[in-house]
Order: sequence, then structure tokens, then C-alpha cells
Amino acid sequence: MRTGTVPSAAYDDVPYTRGGTVERTEVGALVRSAADGDAAAWKAIVEGLGPLVWSVVRAHRLSDADAHEVYQTVWFRFAQNLGRIREPDKAGAWLSSTARNECLKVHRNARRLMLTDDPQLLDRVSEDGAPEQSLLEAEEAAAQSERVRRLWQEFEELGERCRQLLRVLIASPPPSYQEVSAALGIAVGSIGPLRQRCLRRLRARLESRGTTWTT
Amino acid sequence: MDDVNGTDDLDGTDGEAVFDGDVEAGLLEEELRQAAAVLDPLPPGLLQIAVDAYALHDLDARVAELTFDSLVDAIPVRGATDTPRMLTFSAGEVTVDVEVTAQGLMGQLLPPRPASIEVLGGPQAGAPLTADDMGRFTADTPPSGPFALRLRTGRDVVVTEWLRA
Repeated sequence: MRTGTVPSAAYDDVPYTRGGTVERTEVGALVRSAADGDAAAWKAIVEGLGPLVWSVVRAHRLSDADAHEVYQTVWFRFAQNLGRIREPDKAGAWLSSTARNECLKVHRNARRLMLTDDPQLLDRVSEDGAPEQSLLEAEEAAAQSERVRRLWQEFEELGERCRQLLRVLIASPPPSYQEVSAALGIAVGSIGPLRQRCLRRLRARLESRGTTWTT
Repeated sequence: MDDVNGTDDLDGTDGEAVFDGDVEAGLLEEELRQAAAVLDPLPPGLLQIAVDAYALHDLDARVAELTFDSLVDAIPVRGATDTPRMLTFSAGEVTVDVEVTAQGLMGQLLPPRPASIEVLGGPQAGAPLTADDMGRFTADTPPSGPFALRLRTGRDVVVTEWLRA
């Protein structure tokens, strides 16, 4: 767990770095290629980091319409500034902090503020999870849907700080702590302990509902 | 032997307990990640919009950076609702002041000069406007969603930083 630290920049010097950094070592090269006119490189950046931007936006509890517009604004601005990004290797952090700033602007603009409690979200699994195969599979699928639904519900009801942190952390592929820091404005060093704490709290909530939650 | 084994077991268990905590946290996080992929995924339409946004990488234009935004830099007037959004963009000696209200958009290009302007809403061509000799321009409808202004004066092209109205 504590091996594989990449001593590249001052704040990369964290004992616990995650997969995201490794999988994204090529981001810098991709950004430079895209800036030079390589559309395939651009597409790879979007596919690699789009889910992270979406997670950051979702972590900030915007209405769907606001979330969509912020997401677009972030990518439009990134495209516009492609040749001027000072540290291409940290494009993920650039995108994350741009998304955060735009989300905070939405919150400031109180007229637009609308919480997404989004009850439909919670129903979506049960709607989608209509299996057509055997009864056994159907039952398994139903049980799995129920599990996912419960997990998500408990996650949504976590305290705001934990919900926000975890929503960014569960981007796919997992973000680096540097990106999480940029997304939420919290120190890199506090992310690990906060993560542990929030996941512990989530597990406790799940288990307080009667059954043990085995992962 | 027993003692040694006992100690070993104890150490082993301790080590494992810590390790298990990490592993369990990791597993729970991973399960949550999969739940997010099912319940709150990045909409495919948005992915495509971001792919298409590559067209906005414009080598010919200078980017005018946002240097003032009333949403961030101004103290709101108490009780005032629907106050205009005031924005200032700068690129070198060029300044663009923009005011967005529910009624539309007003702008001032400085130093004053005529310009042909496009109100961009994405990679597609935008609505055309013209700045008069005093550098003033207006639009009857406010931009909805992300927007940028592309201003052309002679051979000089300036695009304002993308943001949401």
C-alpha cells in the first residue's frame, strides 16, 4: 500500500497514491498531442477524464440542467486553453478545479440553486433491473439491485462532506489525490484519513440497518 | 515454540486487522464506484459533446481571460434580485465588458472600435452581432448555458473565456 510513490512534484509526495496517477501518466503527452492537432488524443483525454469531471459536478449537488451546463463549460474552456495549459501532466487537476469553481458559481447564483434529492435516481435500478431470463437469475438480479439501491441510499444520506468526498473518489478510473484535492479544495494529506473515516461511517450505516454488509 | 508461535499469531492477527480494514474500505469504495456507474453515470450525450468540443481549440484566436465576474467579485446588493451579471474579459490591450440580464446582452469593446461578433453556444456557428464604431454591441436574447464571444476586428480575433451566463 505504501510503495510506488512517484516523486515527481512536491505534492505528489504522499505515502498513499492511487491507481489514477498511474493510469494517467500519459495525460501530459496526450494534452501536448491534442494541442498539436491530434483529435484521437483529445478523444482519449475526454474518455479518460470525462467521468472525473462528471463526478466533481455531481459531488456539488446541482440540478441536472446546471450539472450538464457546467460539464460542457469545463470542456469548452479546456479545449480553448489546450495550448496554454501550464502543466499538461496535471490536466485532471485543472479540469477538477475548473469544475469546482463553476459549481461554486452556481451555488452563489442562488436563483439557480435547486437541490437534487432526485428520488427517481433511487428508483432507477428497480425499473431497469427487469430480467427476462430464468427465475433464479431474476431473483439474483433483484437482490443485487436491492443491494445497490440500499448502498446508494445510505451514501446519499451521509453527511455532506463525506458524500462529496466519496462522490469524487468513486469516479472511474479512480482519481489521484491531487485531482481530488483540486476538485474539493481540501489538502492532499487529509484525503486518505477522511476517506477511511467516511467509508467506515458508510459501513456503519449499512450495518445499522440490521444485516451485516459483507464486501 | 508455543510462545513464539503465539507471538507470531498475535502479530499476524494485528497486521491483518489493519490490512483488512484497508481492504474492506477499498472493496466498499469499489462497490460504491460500481453503483455510481449504474445509478449516476456520465450521460453518453455529454461525453460526445466533450469529444466534439475539440473544434473549439482555435489556434488563430487570442483568449480573453475573465478578469471580473460580479458573481464572484461583487458584493450583492441587499434585497436586489435579478441583478445583471457583469463580466470583464481581457486579452492584452483589448478589454470586453459584458452585461447579461434576463432581457439580453450588452457589451463594450475597448479601446472602442467596430467589430463583428459571434455569440457562441458550442462548437457550432454562433449568432452574429456587430459592435458599432464606439465598440458597443447588444443582443436581444441572453445566452443560455455556456457561451463565449468571438470578436473579429481586422485580422485580430479574440475569444472570451467560456463560461455560463
